[in-house]
Amino acid sequence: MEPTSSASIARQTWELENNIPAAATDPDAMDAIYRYDDSVQARAQQEKPWANDPHHFRRTKISALALLKMVVHARAGGTIEVMGLMQGKCEGDAIIVMDAFALPVEGTETRVNAQADAYEYMVEYSTINKQAGRLENVVGWYHSHPGYGCWLSGIDVSTQMLNQQFTEPFLAVVIDPTRTVSAGKVEIGAFRTYPKDYKPPDEPVSEYQTIPLNKIEDFGVHCKSYYALDITYFKSSLDSHLLDLLWNKYWVNTLSSSPLLGNRDYVAGQIFDLADKLEQAEGQLAHSRFGGMIMPSQRKKEQEESPLAKVTRDSSKITAEQVHGLMSQVIKDILFNSVHPSSKASTSAPDSSGPEPMVEA
Amino acid sequence: MSAPSDAAPAVSAPAPTTTAAASSGGFTFKLHPLVIVNVSDHHTRVKAQAACSGDSSSSSSAAGAGAGAGQPPRVFGCVIGVQRGRTVEIFNSFELVLDPVSGTLDRAFLEKKQELYKKVFPDFYVLGWYSTGSDVHDTDMQIHKALMDVNESPVYLLLNPTINLSQKDLPVTIYESELHVIDGSPQLIFVRSNYTIETVEAERISVDHVAHLKPSDGGSAATQLAAHLTGIHSAIKMLNSRVRVIHQYLVAMQKGDIPVDNSLLRQVSSLVRRLPAMESQKFQDDFLMEYNDTLLMTYLAMFTNCSSTMNELVEKINTSYERPTTRRGGRGAFM
Repeated sequence: MEPTSSASIARQTWELENNIPAAATDPDAMDAIYRYDDSVQARAQQEKPWANDPHHFRRTKISALALLKMVVHARAGGTIEVMGLMQGKCEGDAIIVMDAFALPVEGTETRVNAQADAYEYMVEYSTINKQAGRLENVVGWYHSHPGYGCWLSGIDVSTQMLNQQFTEPFLAVVIDPTRTVSAGKVEIGAFRTYPKDYKPPDEPVSEYQTIPLNKIEDFGVHCKSYYALDITYFKSSLDSHLLDLLWNKYWVNTLSSSPLLGNRDYVAGQIFDLADKLEQAEGQLAHSRFGGMIMPSQRKKEQEESPLAKVTRDSSKITAEQVHGLMSQVIKDILFNSVHPSSKASTSAPDSSGPEPMVEA
Repeated sequence: MSAPSDAAPAVSAPAPTTTAAASSGGFTFKLHPLVIVNVSDHHTRVKAQAACSGDSSSSSSAAGAGAGAGQPPRVFGCVIGVQRGRTVEIFNSFELVLDPVSGTLDRAFLEKKQELYKKVFPDFYVLGWYSTGSDVHDTDMQIHKALMDVNESPVYLLLNPTINLSQKDLPVTIYESELHVIDGSPQLIFVRSNYTIETVEAERISVDHVAHLKPSDGGSAATQLAAHLTGIHSAIKMLNSRVRVIHQYLVAMQKGDIPVDNSLLRQVSSLVRRLPAMESQKFQDDFLMEYNDTLLMTYLAMFTNCSSTMNELVEKINTSYERPTTRRGGRGAFM
């Protein structure tokens, strides 16, 4: 029973398959990113390579700590949008986020006024942190969209455009804590806006996500004025070591999590939204049924899908998540409930449950 | 459910300020992974900064006193969280500045930081402090006492940053301070306490995400399913291995290799008696209802999928076999 060695073999296989360079696992190289060199940053500020190319930054690297802090803060806000700032540096065409901290302002409507409060807090926090060894500058902001996806709303776009005019380099990150918990994977997006009047080249559509009906107009109007950056994560050697060990205590939580129970409200909302979208799609399709006159207008580009197809995609996604949750419940039921004290366990069967679900490798 | 193997602390020769015996206080400690990652990040940062500034003393980062040559400097900080009755839950932490000369904490800094954090997390109180190193130092008691006027019984969290690949347990220890009578005079000493890792769902998912570097994009439904099931599989494997350990232990006890430990036997017996976990009829009903709900959702999704495909098919048929009704162009106009 060597969970650590089989886990490390599995990880090495995975790393090989995903072409992670060997340097990524060397502890000194991993930790090199934590060094903050003032002169390099000052030089970058003077050169401003981003001033000429609106598409200059293409990637972002987020540290494990920053991700954890942002997700926890976003989740703590519940259904209220929360926001905070990120500290880091830039390196070539990547913005590196080392740390994040929360701001004591909430809500979207009052965002413009709250900027003053936020700036005060931010200045105080940054100066204090410099004393304690956190030398990086503020390099972006993050906020949460609980339940309605990772994209920039109209207010967000104008805020970000303002920031990109005056405090470059700046990055906008959006986190959806509700979808994170529901889907079991982190829902996060990093964006930068194009300057006004800039015509972006036609971008391939990024990963599709479902947007609730009441927000879809806001999304559609502005979705062309910003672009998404690739997100990768990094962690220090000590972090990896600790996280590995953490698994020894963590597996209990993994097994005992019940996504079905936790997400009831969210799923109900999603289904409701889906029903509305279905009605809309039905209305659109009904018009096209009669006569070929309208046919040519229906011929769309290959990329766009008819509303009905979109609804189908959304419904499959929700259902898949539900099925995952149900599978966990069924597995737990088999493990812990199908035991009867009357049956005499044979001498060689150590497990207390009847059917042996998994055989240890 | 913590394995009994966690409960056996090693006894070493007690230094004047510490003892490794288990704490007799009734506090239960819960630690969030965020704190661990925080402390580790702080340490890595300071180490990287000190390494790059060469042999000059770590003046670019106000880290802390007592750094031996070649050893990474110690870092210090504060832990905050919530205390409800006897349960102490540590949620978050932040860095502190230590005055290298006098070895005491910078109080103004602490207060400023506390204020800032209070604005964002109004429920959290200062619960104690943390530091890195392999063992408790003599100067730590001073700092501990200084913190006592913020919180009457602060906790001290020590993280050992040396990476030791053979160790199986988290190198994090939590110490409490207790008044013991040593050599006739009451002295405060550190005693170790046990703790459990507590988490919220979102934290668990992001820790999982970063720890195993899962593919961040959506992937197909098949990969998502695989990822989900792999997670559960590893958890169950862990459960299996722990159960086997207990079983082997019991068998050895039966054979007489190991002296019989009654308290352990009682624990195991109570554990076994807890299964089956749920046996009521109401549970079965609710469970079946949930099962049926999910199946219904799958059914509906299937239906939607079918009708969408059907719709596309009908559209295609309509397009290709359009009968010329009012159009004068005739057949083939829409080819």
